[in-house]
Amino acid sequence: MLKNIYKGIKVTGIAAAVSNRWQSTEEAASHLDQTRDFNLEKFVKSTGVKGRYLCMERQTPADFCVAAADRLLREKGVNREEIGILLYVTQSPDYRSPATACVMQQRLGLSINCVAFDINMGCSGFVVGLNTVSALLAGSDTEKALLLCGDLTGQDLNRDAVSNDYYYLFGDAGAAILVEKNHTNVDELMILSATDGGGLKAISSPGGLWRHPTWKYGCAMDGVEVFNFGINRAPEMIKEYMRIQGTKPDDYDKLVLHQANLYMMKQVAKRSGFDKEKMSVSIEEFGNTSSVSIPISIVHDYGEQTMAEPKRFLCCGFGVGLSWAAVEIVLSPNQIYPLIHTDEYFEDGLEENY
Amino acid sequence: MTEREKLAMLEDLFEMEEGSLATDMELADVDEYDSMSKLSLIVMMEDEFGVSLDGAAIREFHTVGDIVALMEK
Repeated sequence: MLKNIYKGIKVTGIAAAVSNRWQSTEEAASHLDQTRDFNLEKFVKSTGVKGRYLCMERQTPADFCVAAADRLLREKGVNREEIGILLYVTQSPDYRSPATACVMQQRLGLSINCVAFDINMGCSGFVVGLNTVSALLAGSDTEKALLLCGDLTGQDLNRDAVSNDYYYLFGDAGAAILVEKNHTNVDELMILSATDGGGLKAISSPGGLWRHPTWKYGCAMDGVEVFNFGINRAPEMIKEYMRIQGTKPDDYDKLVLHQANLYMMKQVAKRSGFDKEKMSVSIEEFGNTSSVSIPISIVHDYGEQTMAEPKRFLCCGFGVGLSWAAVEIVLSPNQIYPLIHTDEYFEDGLEENY
Repeated sequence: MTEREKLAMLEDLFEMEEGSLATDMELADVDEYDSMSKLSLIVMMEDEFGVSLDGAAIREFHTVGDIVALMEK
């Protein structure tokens, strides 16, 4: 495992956004071809997904991230000129080029004295993104960075969200995380990371790009391989994290796992020594939202609370890559903002028939 | 543990009626043996019998008896 340690770098705020379009698993399944073997009750019980939010017709997850970032910067009273780093973690960018983060720099009214780029990561993306942002921040002359996580995984490019039961596990969402230098409190931010590219066949979306331009099958997933990976690698990393830090499950307020599926999460929590009551569960409402699932779980649990007492979150993302990573963050509920609902989308002025 | 007790564990795991499984049954004919049941099977085999199952091992199961054969304490 790679270990990164940053001194005086802190997460200081989180916001998340979804659309107003919530679709229950039951409603989605009513559109399925009736000859298809799909056990609704078993699916909901095992995965935990009662429904999920979907992007509106012309929305992309970048719209959720911009709404969340806007709210976060306003609530925190941050001068937009102060943001020197903008990172967008996504597997569903708006464009092949430019990086969606470049367009977001302008949409958010940030200074041009800013580095902005995307990274393609999924389930581990929040932690990998936080690692990237922290490293950039630590070596820079800026004080503040924005980490945005967004994905559109609940439907395909034709905006079809119902024809395949595979979609029912996934939702569309976006989150914004403010990361700042703190010169008075130099607590350490420790991040563990690992990668096993041998897991390509376990989860991949190969279509539409250069290696497989004519791929027709959407996402390819081997559920057994993914499950075995998750229930072994994630607990191993979580236990190693606590060993290095000298902590135990009781020291944390919440174990915030990537919301892969409820059954897998319960196994990961149990094997990591956590009671399931301590595990954050937001998959019932949002589905699996890829890199957004950790920040949106924190918003789900504390977004409506306003107390200033700090909470300790042990976060572990694991999945596509295969990639897995863990971090502890400390945040007060008054730094976590209520869930935003927006149906707005960005009109970029590009003509389809240019 | 008798063979019947092992079959009862699998019936409980797959949420089936008691007495509905037999060792010579083809798994392809057991509707309840689906992708989610396979995940439960992985956990049960490891927790109860100390047997780790990967995707290849699961694919090698053709009959109920193939699973039962690995259920040794």
